[in-house]
Amino acid sequence: MMATSLETDVAMLASGVEFIWAANDDERMQAIADHRDAGLVSATLPLRANLTVLENIAIVPEFRDGMNSRAALGRAWSLLEKVGHTACAHQRDPDLDNRERFLAKLLRAIVGAPPVILIERPGLLLPDFNYPLLLDATLLSLEGHYRSCRIVDYAWNAPLYPRPASRTSN
Amino acid sequence: MSEQALSRRIEQRFAAWGRILRFAGVAIVGTLSPSTYNSATRQVVQKQIYFTAWEIFPGFIALAATVSWLLSSIVVHVARDFGLFDYALEVIIRVLVLEILPFTTVLFVALRTSAAINTEVALMKINNELEALRLSGVDPVTYELIPRVIGGTTSVLALTAVSTVGALLVSNVVVYDAWMFAMPSEDFAHTVGKVLDAPTLVLLGIKTMAFGLAVTVIPIGEALETPQKLFHAPISVLRGMVKLFFAIMFIELGALAVSYA
Repeated sequence: MMATSLETDVAMLASGVEFIWAANDDERMQAIADHRDAGLVSATLPLRANLTVLENIAIVPEFRDGMNSRAALGRAWSLLEKVGHTACAHQRDPDLDNRERFLAKLLRAIVGAPPVILIERPGLLLPDFNYPLLLDATLLSLEGHYRSCRIVDYAWNAPLYPRPASRTSN
Repeated sequence: MSEQALSRRIEQRFAAWGRILRFAGVAIVGTLSPSTYNSATRQVVQKQIYFTAWEIFPGFIALAATVSWLLSSIVVHVARDFGLFDYALEVIIRVLVLEILPFTTVLFVALRTSAAINTEVALMKINNELEALRLSGVDPVTYELIPRVIGGTTSVLALTAVSTVGALLVSNVVVYDAWMFAMPSEDFAHTVGKVLDAPTLVLLGIKTMAFGLAVTVIPIGEALETPQKLFHAPISVLRGMVKLFFAIMFIELGALAVSYA
């Protein structure tokens, strides 16, 4: 089943970002299945509840790459600095708001250096925010730390994203 | 219950124990594998030992010393009444050091730690945290589960060792009216050496190791089978604790049978 289509008619400032518009849940699932090697950021993949934000990010290089604990925590801290959210570094999942939780998940995916970051249903991850603009600003601040990024969203949410015309008029 | 339903139920029970034994195998292999040990897993082991043994250490030692003192006093009193005082120390070592203290230790750890491990792992399974770790490149078995088995087993071994040594010191005081840390008399040393010979110590070591594995492997194995629905969490803990109780009784009775049958 051809489930997805890449849409470029969206004016994200962050580079290397592509969109996959899903027409229904099956297409969304297919898009995830098509990116097995991606670092997935999803509402269905929670943070480890008894670890802090910093530890949730650091555990990936520490465990997977054998980095020592201090260096891994330092790397996690520098990523949190990039997105300007060091204040939540020592908090655990239940104490986070949706933006902090999303950032922690995104950085956990980025720190693993996968070929592509796949953010699926960002509206579900950031229900209380103008998520297209927040996504753009966050990815812009993290440029150079990820190779490419794909955002899987439902087609009916496409108008929420900035269009080239609106960017130029701004 | 129809015959078919009964056989299905028995089959399910065996399958559940089979899965726990399979996880026990994975845990033992993981424990012996050097690749398990890195700075991340060492931290989980340390935390597990801290919460299982170190945090409760003062209270546990006070409890073990009190139980040792009371039981030793009762045995000495009764032995005097029956003119069997010469056997008092041997009875104390056989009953208290070899049976009651290891059993009390494992029950203490089971009530305190196993229930917590079962709940935590079941919630991790239900919330999809284990899958999230796996997709991040962190093997949840190596990072979250095996270190709990290592830490829990080490804690049971350590608490048992400390409580039995404490019980020997207390029994020296009660039986021979010696000072707590005075050099033991020749009689004391002779009786301890006679009862705690090499085969007995090996059996005690195996039994304690089996206890240690049981209090971690069974709750984790049961928790991993929890369906991903929140209302299954208490059911998982209930099942894990019942299985653990039977396993502890089985190990204890097995050790008694090997010792005295």
